[in-house]
Parts: sequence; C-alpha cells; structure tokens
Amino acid sequence: MFPELNSILNTSPNNFRSGDFILLSDRQADASFLIHHYLSFYLRAGCKVCFLGLVQSFSHYSAVSQRLGVNLTQAREKGQLVFLEGLKDSIGVVLQEDTSQKIQPLNYLRSPGAGLECLFKFVESSVRQSEDGETWGPPVLIIDDLSVLLSLGVSAGAILDFSLYCQATICSELQGNMVILVRCEEEELDDDEDSNLLQRGLIHQCGLALHVEGLPTGYCRDIHGQLEVWWRWREDAMYNQRKIFHFKVHEKGASFFARGSSSAIL
Amino acid sequence: MLSNILQGTEAGGFIVIQDTVKYSGRGILKCFINAALKRGENVHVVGFETCETEVRAGLDSSCLEKFHFHEGHPDPLGWSCRSSFTVEQFTTEDITLLVQKAQHAKASVLVVDSLSFVLRHHQPVVVCRRLQELRKGGVIKTIIGLLHSDLHQQGVVGSVCHLASAVISVAPASNENCGVAKTTRRTKSGKVMQEEEFFNVSEDATLSVQTRPHQTGHVHTEQYEAEPDPASNLTFNLRLSNEEKKAREKVALPFVFSQEKKSALLKPSPGSGRIMYEPDANDDFDEEDPDDDLDV
Repeated sequence: MFPELNSILNTSPNNFRSGDFILLSDRQADASFLIHHYLSFYLRAGCKVCFLGLVQSFSHYSAVSQRLGVNLTQAREKGQLVFLEGLKDSIGVVLQEDTSQKIQPLNYLRSPGAGLECLFKFVESSVRQSEDGETWGPPVLIIDDLSVLLSLGVSAGAILDFSLYCQATICSELQGNMVILVRCEEEELDDDEDSNLLQRGLIHQCGLALHVEGLPTGYCRDIHGQLEVWWRWREDAMYNQRKIFHFKVHEKGASFFARGSSSAIL
Repeated sequence: MLSNILQGTEAGGFIVIQDTVKYSGRGILKCFINAALKRGENVHVVGFETCETEVRAGLDSSCLEKFHFHEGHPDPLGWSCRSSFTVEQFTTEDITLLVQKAQHAKASVLVVDSLSFVLRHHQPVVVCRRLQELRKGGVIKTIIGLLHSDLHQQGVVGSVCHLASAVISVAPASNENCGVAKTTRRTKSGKVMQEEEFFNVSEDATLSVQTRPHQTGHVHTEQYEAEPDPASNLTFNLRLSNEEKKAREKVALPFVFSQEKKSALLKPSPGSGRIMYEPDANDDFDEEDPDDDLDV
C-alpha cells in the first residue's frame, strides 16, 4: 500500500470508512497499481477479501504484493483471501469440463445475455462469514477489471445491476467495502459508448472515484500521470470535491504529489 | 418556481428530477418527499437504488407513518428471493394495488428511485405508457421520478420528460455549497415557463432557494448601464435633422448593382467599338452565344 495515497485520502488500515464503494478508472493509462494498493491495504487491515481477478493470474498479483510486503499465498491458505482466477477457470467453463459445481461464477462466458447473477452468488457466498474458522474484519470485494466483461458480451446494464447487488449486500448490509476497476475508451461524441456508460453508471453509485490519466501535456519520464480524486460521500464536508495529483510508480510503491511539485521540477 | 412545485401548489402531475454524475438529485428528491409528508400525503417510495435507511434519514419523524418504502433494494431483480417489490412488478396494476392498500390520507404520492433503473429493464415506450396510466388512474395524485440523464440516450430522456408537467435539472453551481436547478414547467393550459434558481439542501431535507449565490465574488452582474450618447458635449454638430436623414437614405451607393446600372451596362451605347471577327482555318467558330444561358 502507498502511504502517500493514504494520507491524501485520509485513511489507514486501522481507520477507514466502512460501507464504502471506491471506483478506480483509467483512460489510456494503467490504474492497476491502485488495485495492488487496495489489495495490500485491506489484507493488512485484517479484512476478508474476495478478489475477482479477471485479467491477470494469481502469480502476477502475488509477485507484486510480495514487493509491497503482503503474502497472498499465505492469506489464501488461511482463508482470508478468496481468489477467483478468471483466466484459468474460464477455459474449463468454455470447454464445459466441470459441470458438477453448483455455483458456476463464470457462466456468463457461455451465455452472456443471462446476466451476472451467478457471479454475484459466488461473491455473496465468499463474503458471508462461515461459522467455523477465524473471524476476519468486514468483507471487501475487489474486482480487476469489470470492463473486460463488456468485451465478453455482457451488457453494461447487466454489469450495473451486478454492482448494485454487490453494493447492497457488501456495503449496505455487511458494512464492508468494494473496490472496482473499469477501463474507459477515448471520449467520443457518441453517447452509446458502453464503457463510458458503465463508468458513469458506476460513478453514480460510488462514494469515491479515483481516475488515472496520462498528463495532458504529454509523456514525462518523472511523472507517470495524473490521478483525480473525486469525493462523493454525501455526508462528508468534502462532497463533490475533485482534486488532481501527479504520481510516479516505482519498484516498491508509488509516490503522489501535488501538481507541479515533482522533485524533478523543483 | 421551485418552491411552488415543492409546496404542491399545482395539484399533482408528473415531476422529473434530472441529474448527472456531476450533481446528485437525491437531495432535492428527499426535500420533495419531506414536503409531501408534511402536507399529510401518503408517500410511496419504490426504491431500487438506495436502501430504506438512507432514504429515511433526515425526514421529519412526526409524519413517518405516512411513509411507505417498497423494498426493491436490496433485491430489485429477485435474485435472492427476499424482495417485496421487484422491477418486474412496475406495472400499473401492481402499483395501484400497493397504493390502495394504504389509502387513508388525503392523497398519494409515488416516488420512483430511480426511473433510470426501470428504463434499464423495461422498454421506454412501456414505461411511458405505464406512467401515463398511473397519472390518469386517479389513485395517485403526484408522481416524482429521479432520472440520471447521462445514462440514457437523449431520445429516451426526452420522451420521459415530455410526459412530465415539471422537469428539474440539477447541476453544480460555481459556489460549491449549492446547486443550480433549471426548472421547466408546463401548465394545464399548455404554457411553458422556465426558471433557473440556486438552491441548497439542508440536513433535515429542507430546500432553501436563492436567486443568486451568496458570495458576491461569483455573481455575474447582468445589468447593463445605458450607453452614453457619443454625440453630446461636442464643439461641432454630429447630429442629423430629419430632412438630412431622408436625403441620406436616398443616396445610391456606388457599388450596389441596382436595376438602372444593370440595364445601362447591358445596352450597347452607340459609337462604341465594334468587334470584327474573321475566323481562321484552325478556329473552331461556334455561332451560338456562350452567354445565352445567363439569366441577366
């Protein structure tokens, strides 16, 4: 996790808002470093994490988390982390190898028009505490990334329904948190652009939106991009405030600074 | 105009609150719910997108027995089979039944949170028809719907707003604490009125409307002072008398192609040079006048 980002957002693993829906988005940039931040953040906080890894393998996240000081394999063995490996399991679903499983979370691959009800049921069963075993903190759902489902034929409306259900169960009922990554296309005049529609729909639902983009002035070696933080909690004094920060991603973390205050410039 | 609609001075109708990601319309929606409760009306909220506790928060606690929340949320599609009202039940018959069950108040108000969710699961034509049937049904006096205008095509938003007697579009104001509402109201006689107002929603769901935001730094003065007459206070006379103005209007401008000039140019004047052309053996002499097709 990145300490500078924690201070910008005024949170820490010991003290964070519960019942929160955090939306990560990017446009022509890569916001996945924020996924690694939140994964290590919530594991450090002792929460039960359900991770839907739809675009990368478990070993990828494990390797990066190792650099951030968190052991994913151990967390998975202890039962703190439930990891859905989308890439590995999807071959089985497409080839219809294992039909004995009751809950088929990836059945949208065979019938994308049916919606994401099964995926939701998988998430729900993962986050509800089991009676035996250790009790962890509030449940957390992390998804990387949700917009890949659009390319698989699921409609934006079905994805918005899925996120609404997840929010209702995880955030409102169980007072846990949710972190979702979506990737957007270039802004076009055509309003029907599905990924932008998905992003707008999710922004309506979320309490905090972090948007990553490249610098508007072009490529820079020392500043990898800009991060816009949009506070949307209605009860907060910061309601509807947006601030832009610059960031640089390193080997073992990322540093964030106010615009124009990069050490390369000063 | 916003306060008038809020106080319900115009009996009933269909009110649409349009919002975008930039500013949420739920604050104003809550003010409408609170105002209706205070008037002693039965408020039926069909909630798909927010939970009951969030909607109840801030409402006047003395009138809460007239507040009925129909639990679409947390299970609006019936996936967990624990919902009392799914989106499939958004029909004229089902809603009328729901409202009639609790009919001991002056009038009933139906609040839909949100119309965007309903439009995602039903055809826009069907939704519009049902809303119109509910309006004319006689059981419900007012329908208030929240619509996220940036989640639908322009045509869909337009169709739903066309049914409405009042459309309130909210947006953020330059002053961060308040919002700006553009209200369009259609009266029964067909007259359309529009107004733009700044508003603030307090924690106890009361709406305060200002014509301008408080900070004068952000106020844009629209008063234009009368321009001073440039021809006054001079040592020479720049003004024209009435005869002089008439004479000025009569002057023919030099480059205007008027009818007289056109005929003068086209008529060959006597004594001007005549062109004698004798074609060579190589020349391609065409008897036709090349300017024949000109409309001069």
